Amino acid sequence: MKNYKYLYFLLIATFIGCSDLEEEPVGLLSPDGFFKSPADIQTAVNGAIGNMASEAYWGRKLTVSLLLRGDMATIGDQGTSAARKEVNYFQMNDASGMVSEFWPRSYEVIASANEAIAGAEFVDATPENKSPITAQAYFIRAFAYYHLVRVFGEVPYLDQPVINVDDTKTISKTSVADVYTHIIADLEEAKTWLPNVQPIKALPSKATASAYLASVYLTLGEFKKAYDEAKYVIDNEGLFNLNLEPDFQNLFDADKQDALKEPLFVIDFNGFQISNYGMDYMAPITGIRQNQRLDGRADIGEGWSVAVPSIEVYNRWDGRDYRKAVSLDTTAVFDGVTQPFSYFPTGDSRNIASAYIAKYTRFPGVTGGANGRASSINYATMRYAEVLLIAAEALNEITPGTTEADSYINRIRLRARNKAGVLTSFPEDVTSGLSKDAFRDMVLEERRIELAFEFKRWYDIKRRQLGTDVFGPTGLEPQVNFDPSRDYLFPLPGDELQRNPNLAPNNPGY
Amino acid sequence: MSKKRMNDWFRKYLCGLFILVGVLGYSQEKTITGTVIASEDGIGIPGVSVVEKGTTNGTSTDFDGNFTINVKSSGILIFSSLGFSPKEVVIGAATTLHITLQEDISALEEVVVVGYGSQKKSDITGAVSSVSAEEINAFPVLNAEQAIQGRAAGVVVQSNNGGEPGAPISVRVRGNTSIGASSAALVVVDGFVGASLPQASDIQSIEVLKDASATAIYGSRGSGGVILVTTKKGRNGKMVIEVNSSYATQNVTKTLDLLDADQFAAYQQQINPGYVQGPENTDWQDLIYRSGNVASHQLSFSGGSDKVNYYVSGNYFDQKGVVINSGFERFSFLSNIDVQATDNLKLGFNVFANRSNKDGVASQAGSGGVGQGDVISLAYRFVPDLGVKNANGVNTLNTVGDAVDNPVATALEIVDETKTDLYRANFYGDYTILEGLSFKTTFGYSTRNNTRGIFKPSTLTAGPNGGIATVSNFKSTDLLSENYVTYKKEIGKSSLTGLLGYSYQKMRNETYNAGSQGFVSNSFSYYNLGGGSIYLAPASALTETEIISQYGRLNYDFDDKYLLTFTARRDGSSNFAKNNKYAFFPSGAIGWKVSNEEFLKDNSTLSNLKLRYSYGVTGNPSIAPYQSLARFSNIYAETGGQNVNAIVPDQLANPDLKWESSYQSNYGLDVGFLDNKISLSVDYYSIDTKDLILNDSGLPEYFGLQASPLKNIGEINNKGFEISLTTKNITKENFSWSTDFNWSTNENNVVKLIDGQDILLNSAPGSFIGQGQTHLLREGESVGVFWGYEYRGVNQGGTFPEGTAGFVNTAGEELFTDINGDGAMSSEDLKIIGNPNPDWTAGLNNNFRYKDFDVNIFFQAVVGGDIYSYTFEELASGGSNATTEALNAWTPSNTNTNVPSVAVRSKRTSSRFVYDGSYVRLKNLAIGYNLPNTIVTKIGMQGIRLSLSGQNLWTGTDFPGTDPEASYQSQGNRNSNVNKGFDYGSYPNIKSVTFGINLKF
Repeated sequence: MKNYKYLYFLLIATFIGCSDLEEEPVGLLSPDGFFKSPADIQTAVNGAIGNMASEAYWGRKLTVSLLLRGDMATIGDQGTSAARKEVNYFQMNDASGMVSEFWPRSYEVIASANEAIAGAEFVDATPENKSPITAQAYFIRAFAYYHLVRVFGEVPYLDQPVINVDDTKTISKTSVADVYTHIIADLEEAKTWLPNVQPIKALPSKATASAYLASVYLTLGEFKKAYDEAKYVIDNEGLFNLNLEPDFQNLFDADKQDALKEPLFVIDFNGFQISNYGMDYMAPITGIRQNQRLDGRADIGEGWSVAVPSIEVYNRWDGRDYRKAVSLDTTAVFDGVTQPFSYFPTGDSRNIASAYIAKYTRFPGVTGGANGRASSINYATMRYAEVLLIAAEALNEITPGTTEADSYINRIRLRARNKAGVLTSFPEDVTSGLSKDAFRDMVLEERRIELAFEFKRWYDIKRRQLGTDVFGPTGLEPQVNFDPSRDYLFPLPGDELQRNPNLAPNNPGY
Repeated sequence: MSKKRMNDWFRKYLCGLFILVGVLGYSQEKTITGTVIASEDGIGIPGVSVVEKGTTNGTSTDFDGNFTINVKSSGILIFSSLGFSPKEVVIGAATTLHITLQEDISALEEVVVVGYGSQKKSDITGAVSSVSAEEINAFPVLNAEQAIQGRAAGVVVQSNNGGEPGAPISVRVRGNTSIGASSAALVVVDGFVGASLPQASDIQSIEVLKDASATAIYGSRGSGGVILVTTKKGRNGKMVIEVNSSYATQNVTKTLDLLDADQFAAYQQQINPGYVQGPENTDWQDLIYRSGNVASHQLSFSGGSDKVNYYVSGNYFDQKGVVINSGFERFSFLSNIDVQATDNLKLGFNVFANRSNKDGVASQAGSGGVGQGDVISLAYRFVPDLGVKNANGVNTLNTVGDAVDNPVATALEIVDETKTDLYRANFYGDYTILEGLSFKTTFGYSTRNNTRGIFKPSTLTAGPNGGIATVSNFKSTDLLSENYVTYKKEIGKSSLTGLLGYSYQKMRNETYNAGSQGFVSNSFSYYNLGGGSIYLAPASALTETEIISQYGRLNYDFDDKYLLTFTARRDGSSNFAKNNKYAFFPSGAIGWKVSNEEFLKDNSTLSNLKLRYSYGVTGNPSIAPYQSLARFSNIYAETGGQNVNAIVPDQLANPDLKWESSYQSNYGLDVGFLDNKISLSVDYYSIDTKDLILNDSGLPEYFGLQASPLKNIGEINNKGFEISLTTKNITKENFSWSTDFNWSTNENNVVKLIDGQDILLNSAPGSFIGQGQTHLLREGESVGVFWGYEYRGVNQGGTFPEGTAGFVNTAGEELFTDINGDGAMSSEDLKIIGNPNPDWTAGLNNNFRYKDFDVNIFFQAVVGGDIYSYTFEELASGGSNATTEALNAWTPSNTNTNVPSVAVRSKRTSSRFVYDGSYVRLKNLAIGYNLPNTIVTKIGMQGIRLSLSGQNLWTGTDFPGTDPEASYQSQGNRNSNVNKGFDYGSYPNIKSVTFGINLKF
């Protein structure tokens, strides 16, 4: 019987490990009780900002779609993906590979903003301490919906974190008017609480909210309100520490952008990415195939010749305009020899004989990947020049022929005459006393040139319904497929309509 | 004569002898001495029982097999020992006896290891396949997994990456029973659940548990089948020292026919008339491939006494890969010590340790874009008119397609080292409480530490901005305590075995990684991360899992005819969601030994007939740690050039998430003819896996979550036949021939998906922009069928032929089936264009023995699976080198061809790149020679064996690529289930010629 002692010994081993099997993750964040201080609100806002600076949004998918959709860039390499070609050639369908990426990412941006706004309720701090941070979330939510409503028209509108899955799953689209009402309300909230100046341009300021209100009102045709908001920013440019950057080139030089007064809000990349976060692709998308670059940036390597201005963009742009030289690359280096763009297709069959976009390839700063991807570019989504343009355009609609409207344009042209420190005579000041229509046309052209390749043009075409002209036979980019009854809106993702049939029907023609 | 009949005959005969012995009881006594040796190795067997028949007079042999006994001169001595056939010897006049005992193969084979115990093979009611040590070691293998390939019906073994040294190998039992979770078989080594396999040469036997009756004892981890491994133990007797050495030379099995520099320039000039031919003529495949070799050395010591048995081995393995700069090196140790501490208590200690070092070269690249690309696919696509360095001594870049690095520079200059340390210790105590009642407890600990360092220098586009270095580490620890009682009882004709157990297991995984770029020097490799100018984001993570289980099994046998087995396990897992913490997995089986019934007992042809049926439920550990919890996650964000903390809503809580359950029925038949010289097993199974966890694609994307929520909704079915046939064709003393044949089918079928919606998938390399979807999951179809356009040949100009269309209507372009008949190509013209799942797989193994020579011929076949080749798609794209097929491209003067005109085209999934992946392969051809005992003993040894073998010497296939065992993007749980039959940049398969020598002292 004494041998039983061994058994007792062995039985002890049996009692190792008793557990309630509850999971207590270390290193993961539970949403419960996350929001405690204003800094936590900022962390959620940063989530929205991180999502904006990702490949599926401002890094490529949304921006390339906007760029190609307009008349300032078309497809260079025909071997590029069908999804891009469909956007450019007005052949989109509800399975668009571009929409399928930036649609969900837009809502991820919104979801983060919603978390920040809802989470702020739990933060025990005075409004003065937390509302300026929450206001960033209001601005970002408005920013994301402003793009969505212009791209798609009616969209589902969510302004709080998902609590009831089943209800949220079956919501309908919100009308365009209501979406704009929400956008304006968010921007007003943002304008109320945001500080006059932010330490960095990647965070919105009071002026940013106001400038976006001006842009929204301009889009809605509410010109008086658009003018008032733009004027508010202009009148307070000192308070807001805003001004035009004297040298147009510096706006697109990644190493100089941080110090500029002109941007009101930027989506910031810093030459570093983790998978698709912090990843932009504009340098390779707009770059020249097999370009050897003798500017000391051989590390960037070639571009992919995806989005290239049609030759008419080059032909019809006055050669005396410094902005043309900044915006376009007309030469490239093949086999060590600098060649004009007529040679580009010879250098590589995927190039076309046209000037290439230079705003993103010339000075991309430190890049985190091959071909200049993951650049250090700050993409200004709103810069002071555009505020001036909005003010001029809106004022012309209210009161045509004012010198005040002329003066806004002239400020921009004066800056454009500064060719890297040398004052030239082009572009000249606006001819004063233009008719309302002539001034409107002039402003839109000025926007096209000044804001070229900055993802604004498509919205101008849509806003002013210019499609039949600009895509007509005499336009910069004739597009036989352009159908004004269909193509001012992108299709909603078809699979999203399957998931929630209450979103049907899709936009007309899709 | 049937066994039963033989027994009866024996009984009568013995009875007679008993009387005889009694009569002769008064005979004269004398002393007999002698030795007992084993027939196999001629070594003395200790502990052999020597009994004078019909008496209690007996003794046993000593350590060297010697014995002395006083007997009556007219008696009979019975020599018996476990594992040997007993022998009776009439004493007669002899005073010295030299007895040779034959090893009792049938007795050894008849015991099969099952979960938490062992059973006589004839009593098994489930579906279990056994692989013997002899099969495992028929030829040298890197991993024990490879040794199972083709050996067991229903078991599919595939390397994730061709013949890459150290590549992971997947083992699947009866198809894939999941979509999102691992379908890999659970590996249990000497009772340690979730272990990794030891060296092939240390393995005594492998059992593969296939049906629910066999696997339900492993509950929530059993649905992928279970591989039970038993390592070698010491046998009573003198110490045996064994040396196993082998040396192999290896070469690639096949290369592709590509254009040379002149052909290539002419080809490119059709696309781009301005193309200027480069200065060299390089055969890149020739540069990256070499003759590889493998050296393997093992030294083992084993032996034991009545009290202690031991087996200790050390192994060194070194492989120089067939791709330059690739290799694998491993040291491993195994020690098994068993101690009979008291009459009732047995203790054992098992230790396994292993260090491996893998030098990798990039293969199977996820993307072939700039700065990426793998050595293999680069060797195919890189222009042949450039060399490794240009005139300035700089690495060349591709001049068509993406400007990627050349394959030689990629292979030589990228450092990719993986070091893995594995340690496992397992202690057990087995206490016999009463006759038939025993308690066993095991306590084990294992840890795996894996460090991978990668450095890409600035001389490559892969290492822009001054080179990139990363180091990542993965460390897992696993603690396991198993405790169970076993009770055996025979009551009349009934025999009963019961098992009840409890186990606790805790697993902990820690990972971290860090990286840096922008080094002042390329000489740091990855050992000076601080020396970079830009630090990559570091990461670290911890996951913990606890599993608490109770399990039991009841085996009931009536009259050696009727068998019943009930098994159940209840698993509680921390991974399970809040509302479903415990899962229960029952199974039951019946067996009927028809051949033991009266009406068949005397049948001399049919020596065995058994019918089996089982049904049960097993689970899949389909829920990863923390997967059911609501979560925020971090993303990378920066503002003003500074990194900032950023979180985003990641997933919603899912407290109702459940494990996946497989409901399996198995019908089995075992037949033996002619004293089991022919034995056949046939099994039919059907596995319904329900509650498959899928991403809820039904949830709209406007929810804005990073991770789509998980839902228990899918259903999948696997069914198939398995046939195993073993025949002993010739068993003469000097010549024997035996054959093992196995054949199996598995048909899988997606039964249910979310809302019946197809799940479209894309496994194309990231650089295949615009490829679109490549395969899908669809209700009613097999998993992972290819999805694309059906290629219909070359457009000869004019209107499209009836039923076809093209993306452009130009002569020389591709034509596809126009399904919707609208005269144009659109997504409505996509269809299923191939099925990667094979119709059947088979293995055929023949062993011949003539005197001291033996020959093994082993064929393996896989028939009916399709392959989608991204390799050929890329080589046909115009933006790379091309296969010689391009020489037959369509031109206005060469219209009778299936190859479109030379052009740069968008990449699209089409049946043009789908191939039949069926193959028959001569997996092993070996000849062995055992030096005769007379010579061996003279030089003081116990055995010398020489062998010469060849692996993969011949493959019969229509697949034009390098290897039909294709496997691209198949790593990770989901990918391993759904990405099948894709081929891109895989490390080539290899053929080897191996010389082996085995010495026993």
